[in-house]
Order: sequence, then structure tokens, then C-alpha cells
Amino acid sequence: MTTAQNVLPRAAGSWRESARAWIRSGGALPFLLLAPSVILMLTVIAYPIVTGFYYSFTDGSLLKFGRFIGLDNYTELLVSRDFHRAVVFSLVFAAANVAGCYLLGLGLALLMNQEVPGRAFFRVALLLPWIVPSIVSIVSWRWMMADDRALFNQIIGFFGGSPIFFLSDEHWATVAVIVIKIWRSFPFMMLSLLAALQGIDRTLYEAAEIDGATRWQAFRHVTMPQIANISIVLGLLMTIWSVNDFDTPWLLTQGGPANATENLVLLAYRYTFGRNDVGLGSATSFVTLIILMGLVVVMLRRQKGADR
Amino acid sequence: MTIFSQLRQRGAARYLASIAAGALIGLSTLSASAQQPVTLNFWDMIWGPPEYIDAAKGLVDQFNTEHPEIKVEYRSVPWNNWYQTFVTAIGAGTAPDVSTGAGYQAVQLYDLGAIRPVDDLVEEMKASGDLDDFLPGTVDTLRYDDHYVALPWGLDIRVWFYRKDLLEAAGIAVPTNWQELRDAAKALTKDGKYGVVASGDTGGSHYIYNAILNNGGGLFTADRKLDLKSERNVEALQYLAGMAADGSVSPASVGYNSDDRRGAFTRGEAAFMLDGPGAIDQAGDQAANIGIVPPLAGPHGDKGTIFWVNNIMVYQQTQHPEEVKTFLKWWSKNQKELWTKGRSGQLPTRASIAADPYFTGSPSRSYVLENYVPTGKTTATQAEGIFPALNEVEGEGVMQTLVQEIWQGKDLGASLDTAEQRLRGILGE
Repeated sequence: MTTAQNVLPRAAGSWRESARAWIRSGGALPFLLLAPSVILMLTVIAYPIVTGFYYSFTDGSLLKFGRFIGLDNYTELLVSRDFHRAVVFSLVFAAANVAGCYLLGLGLALLMNQEVPGRAFFRVALLLPWIVPSIVSIVSWRWMMADDRALFNQIIGFFGGSPIFFLSDEHWATVAVIVIKIWRSFPFMMLSLLAALQGIDRTLYEAAEIDGATRWQAFRHVTMPQIANISIVLGLLMTIWSVNDFDTPWLLTQGGPANATENLVLLAYRYTFGRNDVGLGSATSFVTLIILMGLVVVMLRRQKGADR
Repeated sequence: MTIFSQLRQRGAARYLASIAAGALIGLSTLSASAQQPVTLNFWDMIWGPPEYIDAAKGLVDQFNTEHPEIKVEYRSVPWNNWYQTFVTAIGAGTAPDVSTGAGYQAVQLYDLGAIRPVDDLVEEMKASGDLDDFLPGTVDTLRYDDHYVALPWGLDIRVWFYRKDLLEAAGIAVPTNWQELRDAAKALTKDGKYGVVASGDTGGSHYIYNAILNNGGGLFTADRKLDLKSERNVEALQYLAGMAADGSVSPASVGYNSDDRRGAFTRGEAAFMLDGPGAIDQAGDQAANIGIVPPLAGPHGDKGTIFWVNNIMVYQQTQHPEEVKTFLKWWSKNQKELWTKGRSGQLPTRASIAADPYFTGSPSRSYVLENYVPTGKTTATQAEGIFPALNEVEGEGVMQTLVQEIWQGKDLGASLDTAEQRLRGILGE
């Protein structure tokens, strides 16, 4: 009589044999080689994400593990005025930064792609905002705009204007944070676009010239299509970096005045470390992640469209 | 072969001598292990300039010399991520035996079951009369859940400062009450200078605490319920809003942090500022131009300001509670050098240390100790003692936003409604 007891050892035996055969044939080698990276990735990426996701359903603090409270943190977040304001600021900040960086970066890349005197010097000099540590550059910006005696107000006063308290007014503070972020980020955009511009086949421009294209038409129909893909990738990266930017608003305004420059990352930080509410902070982080993923999907679709 | 036959063969005397020698060696080992000092880990936050750490290490060395049976190992802990530092250590079972810490750390960690109350030490000090050496109210501030969760060692307090040169030039007397301060600030706002400079950060929120406590108000009721919109509190906030409406508060205050505020005051750009007692020491060559405003009388004659009782606490994880108690008692009595050598920015909580020439010889320090400290109240006022939620109340940023909106001249009623709603959320009311 055939019983489960009789069958199972045989099945296990055949499984072991086929596994051994697979290892002997070298089929396991790629997995073994990949294993350290996979384990590392799981440890440093997957584990924090999974635990963070779990925390977002609890009411824990930095001191105590919380109890499971379902979607309470998410519902609290979605009705919170702080959250609405942070979402709006994050999107405005990201959109303005991507647009500003792209226009400035592309303009300077086109300029640096020409035979201009001192080109090598300018190429290096224009990278400085990207190279200088954020604490140094942002604190310097603060000094230049902190009050009515600061440099910018001296210049405004020289031209007869009244002082502007950049960090005391919601609108000016928002402008200041965006301008400084653009200033810190455009070199990366410029460098990448310059590399893309230098990769464009010169014969395309010669053909356009022969066809009687103006410089604008050559830019519109040769340059732009050639850098479309890299532009979308750069836009994608810049969006992610803008939404996730902590340094610029924190060091310049700490999210003020009156929370006007508080983005989602600062909000998550405030909830977690200020309010000591790890659940709400984690929920904020996950909503930020979802918003970013949505933006990434939209941009990747646009890239597919550009490819076609 | 038995030991007896060996004794017979080789001679009993030789073996007895060997046994005696072995016993002696064994006993001397035991005696050596008994003399091995107990090791205590002491984590101390950085409470002053770099010389503070040297002074604290020097004190620990002195304790170790005087107590060969205990070896205290000193570790200086930076304020950055202090919360995570302690919580991680507790979670990993590597908490120190004893530490100093942030104002509400002891009650927060006590709630986690990580703090060992010092009731027995306080009782001993009470019996010996040593407890009377502490400034009034400082020990009881650290009573929580019917236990003394820590021992006080330092005071931080907010004090109004004024620029002597600006007041003298304008012929204005040093104010003694709210109305005089408001009038003086308004009169001194001219020629690009302002009556008051403040900030929009945590240091800015201290203007709110100072005002409401000065007016006899408080954030809480006696049973720890939020009382932000009490009559006295609203009156105090209206006073601050009034000064902003007068144009007396520097418009840059909203975006200033505490360093900016201190810098503007030290440069003589404003006549009045609220700050910690160390502000004059930090003013360099401008120190002589800075004076301390006497504790102001509010419209109802009340006086008061915000203060924090910083403390030293014992951890449940300690294996040597008696030795920790010995150290704590010694440290509490002998910590004078933290100021005289370490130049800590705190004020002492012991009258005996406050009586040292380092304090009595400094007009500003002695003035604050004599006149401001007795009026000091905690963030928990009107409730007694401190409790864990105060950390979130001070740290979440509600009061910073409120003070920014006051300096901006926004509608106080709307700002208060928002602040109250947020505070209730934090307190879970």
C-alpha cells in the first residue's frame, strides 16, 4: 500500500538530488554571486521600508512600540491642514525647482557648448554651488537676507527701495527657498545637459543648415529631440530630490514662517521627532512615497512617449 | 596513589607547606578581586563651552581618586540626536548607570520603565538637612508619579536684557512693569533700531512662556488639562501682539533664530531682548553695555518667568545602585567646578554653590539668582511638577508658529485657535 509516509521521503530525496544536480551544473552560481547584494539590499532598504510601513499603522513613539490602530494615522493626516499645506508647498517647490533648474541649466549648457573665452574656468566655477556643502552655502544665504541690514537690503536700499524681510514673510520665504534650491541644483542639470549636447552628431546641424533652418529651428527640431530623453530623466531625478529635500528649507527657515515652507519631509520629521509620534511620521513618509511614485510613473510614461 | 600515601612518602611537612602556600595564593587572588573597583558609566550632556568637558572629567577623576572602590567612566554626549542616543542604548541594554539630560528626559524615560527613582537618596538628604541646600521648588519639580525621578543640578531661565547705551542716550529709565517696557520699546524704535528683538524659533517661543507666566497664567490647569486660552494667557499674548502692532518688535524677528537675535541685540540694533542668563558673558566687548531688566510686574502685579530644572538621573539597568548613589551624592555636592572652571551656562540649584564668589562676584549672575530664580515657573504651570508631554509641547513647533504669527501681526484669535487645536492633538485631549 502506498502511504504518504512512503512517498514523502522519496519526494524529498528526489528534490535533494535535483538540487544537487542543479548546483553541480553551475545553475546556482549567479544566485550565489548575487546573494550578498540581495541580502544587503534587503537589510538596508527592504527592512526599513517594511518596518516603517508597519509603524504607520501604530500609535508608537520613539520610546515605546505602539499598538495597531489601522488607518487612523492616514485619516488624521489626510484631514490635517498642516498636511495639505505641506503637499501644496512640496509640489510648488518641486515644479519651480525643476523648471528653474532646467531653464538655467540648459541656457548655461548651451553657452558652455560654444567657443566662449574662459570656457574651462566657467565650467568649473559654475559647479561651485553644487560642490559647496549645504550648511555653508545656505547659512551664507541666510546672512545675505536675514534682516534690513543684510546685503540684499543694502542693494535694495542703494536703489531707493524699502527693505524686504525675506525670511519673515510667507511669500518671500517661499521664493527664497526656491531660488536657493535652484542655485544649489542647476550645476548638475547644466553638466548633464552639456554632456548630452556634446553627444549630438554635428552633421544633423549641417543638414539643417543646408535645408535653410534658422538657429531657433535647429534648436527646436534638432537639439531638443536629441536631449529629450536625458531631459525627462533629469526632470525625474530633480523632482525626487526636490520633494525629498530637507537641507534647504530646514537650514534656511526651519519650515517657517508660520509653516509656509514646510515640505512633506520636514512635516514627517516634525511629527516623528517633535511630536514624538512615529506612527504619524511614518504615515507622512509613506504618503510622500506614494506621491513621488505617482510623479515617477507620469514622467516615465512621458519618456516612453518621447521614445516612440 | 592517595594524598595520604604521598604524605607518608614525601613527608607531611612538605605537603602542608604546599597547601599553605596554595591557600595563601588563593586568598590573595580573592582579596585582589574584592578590591577591583565597580565601574559606573556616567553620560553627561555638553552644558557649556569646551572647557566644561575638561572640568567635568576633572571632577570625575577627583571622585575616582577619593573612592578607589568605584571607577566612574565619563562620556560626553552631544545634543545632536540625544533622544535616539539614550533610547537606543536603553533598547540595547547598554544604558549608562547615571546621566544628565534634557529637562523632561527623566520623566519620559521613567514612563518607559528605564529610570530608577532617587526617593531613597532624597530621603537621606532630607534627613541630613542637605536637601535644604537646594533652591526652593527645584527638587519637587522633579517629582512625578509620586517619585523623585531625578536630582536637580542646573537651572536655565529666561531674563529680559536691555542696552544701557540706548536707554541712556534716549533718557529712558529701565522699565519695571509691562506698560513701561511697552512704552520704552516704542520710544526706542527709531533710526533703524527697534525696541525689542525676538526670534521665530524655540527661543522665540520663550517670549510666550515668559509673558503668560509673568501674568500669572500657565499653559495647563492644575489637573494637566490644556488651558491656552485662559483670560491671563490671552491678556499676555495680546500684550506681545500689541508691541508688534506698535512696530516696536524688529520685523526680522519672525525669521531670526536665537543666534541671529542675540547678534542683533549685541550689535545694538534693539534695546530689549529675552534670553538665558549667559547672554552677557557671550556679548564680548559689548557686555558692559548690557543690563538686566528687573523682573517685570504684569498688569495685575504678578511676576514670573519660564525656567527649566535640569537634572541627573539613575537608570534601572544599573547593577550598582549603592555605588551610583554614592557618586550622585558626591557629584551633587562637589560640582562647583562645572561653573568656576567649566563656565557652564546653567545656574546652580544649590545655594551653597550659588554663594561661591564666582556667582556673588558677578553682578549679573547674582542678580538673576536673587531676583529672577525665585519667580521661575515651569512649562507645566499651573500643574505641579513636570510630565512627559511637555517635551512634545515644546518640541513640536506649535508655540514657534504662534510666536511667528504674533510678530507678523496676524489675527491673534485665529492663531490661538490653530495653536489650541494642534496642542490638543499633541496632548490627545
